[in-house]
Amino acid sequence: MLDALRFEWTRLRTLRSTYWMVGSGLVASAAIPVVLGLAASDEPLHADAVNISVNGGASFVIPFLAVFMAVVGIFATGHEYRHGTIQPTLTALPQRSRLILAKILTVTALTAVATLVSMAINATVVLVFWGEVPGLFDDPVRSALLGYLAYNLIYALVGLGLGLLFRGVPSALVVIFLMPLIIETLFVGLTMVPALEWLASAVKFLPFTAGEELMLTSPANFGPAAPDFDFFDRWASGGVFAVFAALIIGAAWILFKKRDA
Amino acid sequence: MISAKGLHKRYEKTVAVDDLSFEVRPGVVTGFLGPNGSGKSTTMRLMLGLDHGGGETLFDGERFTSIRRPMNCVGTLLEAKQFHPTRSARNHLKMLASANGIANARIDRVLDLVGLGPAKRKKPKGYSLGMSQRLGLAQALLGDPHTLMLDEPTNGLDPHGIHWMRDLLKSLAAEGRTIFVSSHLLSEMQLMADELVVIGRGHMIFNGDVDQFVREFTTSTVIVRSPSADAFVSALEAKGASVTKGDDGELVVSEMEIGMVGHLAFTEGIELTELSSRSASLEEAFMSATGAAEQFVAEQPIQTAQTPEGAKNA
Repeated sequence: MLDALRFEWTRLRTLRSTYWMVGSGLVASAAIPVVLGLAASDEPLHADAVNISVNGGASFVIPFLAVFMAVVGIFATGHEYRHGTIQPTLTALPQRSRLILAKILTVTALTAVATLVSMAINATVVLVFWGEVPGLFDDPVRSALLGYLAYNLIYALVGLGLGLLFRGVPSALVVIFLMPLIIETLFVGLTMVPALEWLASAVKFLPFTAGEELMLTSPANFGPAAPDFDFFDRWASGGVFAVFAALIIGAAWILFKKRDA
Repeated sequence: MISAKGLHKRYEKTVAVDDLSFEVRPGVVTGFLGPNGSGKSTTMRLMLGLDHGGGETLFDGERFTSIRRPMNCVGTLLEAKQFHPTRSARNHLKMLASANGIANARIDRVLDLVGLGPAKRKKPKGYSLGMSQRLGLAQALLGDPHTLMLDEPTNGLDPHGIHWMRDLLKSLAAEGRTIFVSSHLLSEMQLMADELVVIGRGHMIFNGDVDQFVREFTTSTVIVRSPSADAFVSALEAKGASVTKGDDGELVVSEMEIGMVGHLAFTEGIELTELSSRSASLEEAFMSATGAAEQFVAEQPIQTAQTPEGAKNA
C-alpha cells in the first residue's frame, strides 16, 4: 500500500494542474473575507459572518475550494484515461483496489490540508481587518467549520468517483457542475410552485443541498416562498451527502475492477 | 520464461483471442506476428491483466497482477504516447518508479540509454513518435527487468533507431532475459527474432523458430539461366520438377534440389549461365501463413503500364 501511496503522491506533485487548482481554490476563498473586510470592517462580526469569512463563502455563494478540489479528484482518474496513462499505471501497480484506495487517501489528505490552510489564511484576513476572530473555536462556528472540512472532503471524493465512473474528464466535470448548480437548484425552485410543494419532502435527500447543511451556523434561507424542507441535523445531512459519494465511488470501483483498462 | 495457457477474449460476438497457448523462452528474442486485427495487442493486454478474459499467463511462475513491484520483473511497452502531455519525461518515469522502489539514478540512466537525456525535463507533448517510443522503452527498462514485452517498439523510429533497438534487444536476450516483441517490420523481425509466435484472427498459426517457419510456409526454388532453356524445361519436368519462367526469361525450378538440377544439366549436355538457389524471406512466409487469416483486406492497387518515356518524365 505504501508503494501505491508514493505513486499517487508523485502523480499529484508532478502535475501542474494540481498547483493551479489548489492555488485557485485558496485565492478564490480568500477573496471573500478580503471583500467583506474592505466593505464592512467597521461593523461587528457575528457568527454567520465569521463562518462565511473563514469558509470563503462556501455556505453563502459557491464552495470555491470544494469545487476546485473536486476537479483535482476528477483528474485523479479522469486524466489517466484521457491521456492513456492508465495502462502504464496498471503495469506499474497492477493491484487495482490498492490503486483506487491510494487515490482516495491522497485526494482526501490533500483536500484536508488545503481546507485547513484556506481556513487559516481566511482567519488571518479576518484578524487583519477586524483585529479579532470572535467565536472561532466555539459553537456554532466551530461545528460549522468542521462541517465545511467534511463537505470539502466529500465533494472532492464525489469528483474522484465521477472521474472513475465516466473514465474521463469532460462528463465528470459536467455532472459535478450541473448537479448542484442546475439540477438541485431547479428542484428546490419547483417546490415553491404550490402544485409541486409535495416535492419539498425530498429536498433533504438531494446530496449537494443536504451537504450544505454541514456548513451552516443558522438555518438556510431559501426565500419567503420556500416551504419547510425539514432538513436532518448537520451531521445526518452530511451523512446523506456521504452516502451519495459512497454510492458513486462504490459503483465506479466495482466497474473499474471489471472493465478492461 | 513466459508461459501463456488458454488465453481467450471475446468482444460480444467477436472472438478476438481464441485459446492461445505458447511459451516464450529466456535467452532469445521471440517475435509476435500477425496481420492487423489479429489480436496481438489484445493478447499482450490479456497477459498483463489489463484486459479481462480467459486463460492464465505466468511470468517466471507468477501472474503479473500478483507480482509486487512488477516493473522490476516485467517491463512493458504497449503503446506510444501514454503519458501526460505536461508532465516531463523524467517525472513520468519518477511516478512509475515510485511504485516500484526504483532509485532516481536509474531513471537518469535509462533516459540516457534511450537517448532522451537532453530532453528529459521537456514536456513530452512536443515529442515525435520516435521520441515517444524511446520514452516508452525507457519505461520498460526502468526496473531492469528480466522479461520485456514490447508492442511495436520500432514504430516511428528512424533507421538508426531501429538498428539500435535491434542490437539492444539482442544484447538483452544474450544476457538471458526473456524478450517478447511484436512488430510489423518483417525484415527487421527476420534480423532480430530467433523464435516466433504467429497468430491470425486470434488463432495460433505457428510457434517455433524463424527458420522452421520460413521452411514450413514457403518453398525454396532454384534459378536457372541457359541458352537452351526451352529444351531444359522438358528434361526437368520429365524428372518431376515444377518449372515456371521468370520475368527475365530465367527458369524458376521447384520441387528439385539444386544439386539435382546441376546434375541433370550435365547429363543432358545443356549449357548453364546461372544456377542458384533462392530462399524465401520471412515476409513471404508470413504472407503465405497469414493470407487466409487477414481480417482487413485492402483492394489491390490498379497496375498501370509505365513506358520508359513515362518513367523519364516522372
